Amino acid sequence: MKILIADDDGLSRRLLEKTLEREGYEVIAVDNGRLALQQLSLADGPRLALLDWMMPELSGTGVCLEVRKQHDRPYVHIVLLTSRGSKQDVVAGLEAGADDYLTKPWDPAELTARLRVGQRILQLEDRLVEARETMRFKATHDNLTALFNRGVILDLLARELSRTRREKGCTVVMLGDLDHFKKVNDGYGHVVGDEVLQEIARRLLASVRSYDFVGRYGGEEFLIVLNNCDSSHAIARAEEVRNGIANHQVQTMRGLLPVTMSLGVFASRDWDLRLVEEILVETDLALYKAKADGRNCVRLAEPPVLCSIPLEQIP
Amino acid sequence: MTQQGDRFLQKAVNLGEVLIRVENDHELLSELIGIFKKDFPPLLQLLQEAVAREDMENVEARSHTLKGMLSGLSVTKAAATASRLEQMGRERKTSGLADVLTILENEVADLLPELGAYAEESKP
Repeated sequence: MKILIADDDGLSRRLLEKTLEREGYEVIAVDNGRLALQQLSLADGPRLALLDWMMPELSGTGVCLEVRKQHDRPYVHIVLLTSRGSKQDVVAGLEAGADDYLTKPWDPAELTARLRVGQRILQLEDRLVEARETMRFKATHDNLTALFNRGVILDLLARELSRTRREKGCTVVMLGDLDHFKKVNDGYGHVVGDEVLQEIARRLLASVRSYDFVGRYGGEEFLIVLNNCDSSHAIARAEEVRNGIANHQVQTMRGLLPVTMSLGVFASRDWDLRLVEEILVETDLALYKAKADGRNCVRLAEPPVLCSIPLEQIP
Repeated sequence: MTQQGDRFLQKAVNLGEVLIRVENDHELLSELIGIFKKDFPPLLQLLQEAVAREDMENVEARSHTLKGMLSGLSVTKAAATASRLEQMGRERKTSGLADVLTILENEVADLLPELGAYAEESKP
């Protein structure tokens, strides 16, 4: 594990370096507070630090205060190591953000024992962060396909539409539904059905750009949001998605299965709709048309043509 | 090292403590003494200059660093004197400052050659 030593006293620095190398640490040693802060601000910087209190350019407590402002970095366990040992100093050091405090001259056994405590705390923090990230992923992604779940994909759609309006761009929405998927479940069982859904999810992700969004909208329905996509390209993009599924059978435990998808497509620039619900209704109608036209095809939601004939001329 | 030097070192330095700190690594001890011999004189000079100018902020900072170095090698008595100077610097107390500096200078006067000799003997 990496550890930072910051001490302007070369003798203490070398002694610490040797003691900690013997304990198996990868030691980075600097002689002032500014360099210490630089090291602790690096993305892969050390997460254990032994800081002298009084140092040139920036004190140990100054480093603590700056490090604690960096909320986007993993936690750094800081031990202040100094010859200042009054209770007031201890309180000031801890208030500045230090986790522990050792007075010079230190006892090597106590020093290494306290650093092991720091390591245990960091390991605990890592486990907590990992658990939080797992929970966050579970709360935002579909359990089977690992795509965004319905709530999240609809939120992302709303956000994209609002950005598109601001920037006078175009968002393309695709609602895809696997054709005759019930037959897969009924004929081969739900485990095979799940295999198909997982493979389709992979293909959908592979067929869009890294900044587009794909979510599982319902059982075998998928919602795709293409950011900044020109409406003239909407159909071509949807065809790519459809071909990506239809052109290669899906490998399952029961062998290769042919799977196709029908898609309803909506390009926001062609419409004056603001509500996500209204957009979904139109996209769904286009999907319904694709189903009615024989499935395995793409249909674009067409805005109604407004009547330009004056009322008095209408017979 | 002379018998006299040996007695001086035993009096000035807590050798037992410093050997524990270096985990009986005589090579490391020799290296630390080398660092001390190089770093200590210029730092002491900076302290002397700060005392002469009654620059109490620097008196505090320099004596703090010297105290750290001295206690690192368990030169306990001199470390305590450096600590007194640090305290005076912190409290901006100029009265008696030069006297305490003289005490420190006397305590460390024979230290460097004796430590040097000890380092030579300690080499594996």
